[in-house]
Amino acid sequence: MGRVFFSLRCVWLAAMVMTLLGLASAWTARCQVPAATGLGLDGHRVDPIKMSAGKVTVLVFVRTDCPVANRYAPTIQRLSAEYAGKAAFWLVYPSKAESAAQIRKHEREYGYKLPALRDPQHALVKVAQAQVTPEVGVFDERGKLAYHGRIDDLYVDIAKTRSAPTTHDLADAIQAAISGKTLTMQAKPGVGCFISDLE
Amino acid sequence: MKRGELIAGSLVLLAVGSAGLAAKHRSPKAGSKSPIAATVTFDRDIAPIIYTNCAQCHHPGEAGPFPLLTYADVRSHARQIAYVTSKRIMPPWLPDAKGPKFKDELRLSEEEIATMQTWVDQGEAEGNGSDLPKAPSFTAGWQLGKPDVIVRAEKPYTLPASGSDQYWNFVFRTPVNRTRWLKAIEIRPGEKRLVHHANVLVDREESGRRLEKEPGAGFGGMELIIESETFDPDSHFLFWKPGSPPYVEPDGMALRMDKGTDLVLNTHLQPSGKAEPIQPTLGLYFTDKPATVHPMLLQLENDRKLDIPAGEKNFVVTDEFTLPVDASVLAIYPHAHYLGKDLMGWATLPNGKKETLIHISRWDLNWQAVYRYEQPVDLPAGTKIGMRFVYDNSEENVRNPNRPPQRVVAGNRAADEMAHLWLQVLPRETSEGTADPRLAIQEALAVHRLQNDPDDFEAHYNFGALLQMKGDLPGAARQFSEALRIHPEDPTANNALGAMLLASKKVDEAIPHFSAALKSRADYFDAHYNLGNALAARGDFNGALTEFRSAARLNPQDANAEANVGSALAELGNVKEARLHFERALQIDPKNELARENLEELNREEQKRPQ
Repeated sequence: MGRVFFSLRCVWLAAMVMTLLGLASAWTARCQVPAATGLGLDGHRVDPIKMSAGKVTVLVFVRTDCPVANRYAPTIQRLSAEYAGKAAFWLVYPSKAESAAQIRKHEREYGYKLPALRDPQHALVKVAQAQVTPEVGVFDERGKLAYHGRIDDLYVDIAKTRSAPTTHDLADAIQAAISGKTLTMQAKPGVGCFISDLE
Repeated sequence: MKRGELIAGSLVLLAVGSAGLAAKHRSPKAGSKSPIAATVTFDRDIAPIIYTNCAQCHHPGEAGPFPLLTYADVRSHARQIAYVTSKRIMPPWLPDAKGPKFKDELRLSEEEIATMQTWVDQGEAEGNGSDLPKAPSFTAGWQLGKPDVIVRAEKPYTLPASGSDQYWNFVFRTPVNRTRWLKAIEIRPGEKRLVHHANVLVDREESGRRLEKEPGAGFGGMELIIESETFDPDSHFLFWKPGSPPYVEPDGMALRMDKGTDLVLNTHLQPSGKAEPIQPTLGLYFTDKPATVHPMLLQLENDRKLDIPAGEKNFVVTDEFTLPVDASVLAIYPHAHYLGKDLMGWATLPNGKKETLIHISRWDLNWQAVYRYEQPVDLPAGTKIGMRFVYDNSEENVRNPNRPPQRVVAGNRAADEMAHLWLQVLPRETSEGTADPRLAIQEALAVHRLQNDPDDFEAHYNFGALLQMKGDLPGAARQFSEALRIHPEDPTANNALGAMLLASKKVDEAIPHFSAALKSRADYFDAHYNLGNALAARGDFNGALTEFRSAARLNPQDANAEANVGSALAELGNVKEARLHFERALQIDPKNELARENLEELNREEQKRPQ
């Protein structure tokens, strides 16, 4: 917990200084992004942001039994293919109860070809400020959280969807992060299954 | 083990905050529990709510996306449940609380919703196992026991992984060889998570098959038109929605199924994120008790008035129909598409009293259902049944299929609109010997629909069929002509008008209509058969033979077509072959009089012939 709070403050400080003094590069270099790790399906600790060095990192929070998150599987898979080479996608399962075997089965069923992490301690949930599945955290190449929230606006509420989304928040955020825009996009809360139910 | 730790954790939290919270939530209506029991627990307070209202869908194999049977199940969705219940998203139930009571209502009380919220606020305590009611047990497989007949869709439909909602129809050829009476159809729509609702339509004329690209493949489309040969108005709602138990018709209200009757299952499907095959099955349950009372489905509508300008937020469509006979309303089914907002149906009794039949102030196509009244609503003759549907075609309606909004009119596609209120009514039994009261309703409906829309093809056609039944052939011919004015190429109306003209001995006028019917639908049994008769009446037995042969090929089990092939052959002097066809007709139906009389005639003539 303590470390996570520290990391947020660090990012915030860096942003302050960037705007005030225009010394962004010096400060971000010094401001070490703290490690936020999940568990790979083989049980090893993985720091997805560090592992995606040189790329934009996209953490996609899902759970195997969340129908809203599942309905997004094709969109998530499509976006990850579209931005292959520029953005590294990770599926993050915040449930304590979902085993590696269940997750592998879930990935197979929904045609996911993305690395998956378990996040039973919600360390990744916290750095990405995720509230529901499915939500995403988009981190720029330096590991700074550039956007978090919904993938698009298909869902207006639980069981209430548009016929097609009218915004493409995740794609826009990746595009912005790739093009090096430093401004943080405003978070847009997602609709789905509350991660707090998994605490 | 882990579970124990979690509970301990939440109890610690409770010790800090429970006093204040408990005080806040213990409003006087909060219940009959002992005053010491300030903490809401799963075992005592939450499980009974979940077991009664949620578990019927939220158990393995059912439509709910996750089970809600144990403390762990419910806890891992607790805040979600508090949220969706407080917004009345779950359990899904559209009719407003005011108005008549329906069977199987799924509506939580304000108190139950508050209890759920308090439980979450207090930290989701499990409670004392001795308080826990027995979890509901569910029958796996067929809910009504082993069906008499199980039919399975011949080919699965593969629902795409993503995209908008899909509407798919499966045609079931039923293995029924004689008239049977159905007391229930259990619909197993396949993967229940994907099916929002499903409707069975009884198809006695192979209307569905004709829409299949290949036999058994099924066909797409949200709304269907099913033809019916005789006066046999649809009489039963055969509806499936998640969690609702299959409906067994009361004694005397069985549904007739004849040889060759198809059942068409119309399904509304929602993609889940992976491509999934859907292959529904139907379980048919027969009864020895034939129908003795005859309900019918009565439809209020005003599709002609459905012309909603883009951006219009409150577009109103109304209709009002006066019941010509006493009747009881057994069930109701309001239907609109994605622009529907507020749907209301009511009855104004002859004494001026107004009764709500249904009011849905937050219409949602996804949760549409048939609602059966707890007690039938009795309406005397002269009651005006009204409907008022409100539509929102603005951008504020997030379900609007058009962005930006566009003008929307009535139609069968999901992006079109509908304004339909269906009622299942049971006309009061009349004394012996009087006309079927359904005829009076049907006639009043046809007249009413033509008042709403003089260009209503179906109403003209149905009115014609009614007049035909009453023996008014010229009247019937007029209505069929009107129908053809609207759809000149329609095969059914052409065949019907031809049949009226033929019955009135206007052979030369009849023939072009049968030809037109066959031009639109080459494999139309009735039109081939009727054209054969018309040509025979004109003495063209070669032509007649061709038509009867076509008819017999289309329906090899029709004894009359077979016998008529024989008659045409006999007229042409081919006695030997004619005899074979008469014999075959009698094999199909030993009681076929046409074949028997003709065969006797042939035998007599053969005896007369000098040796």
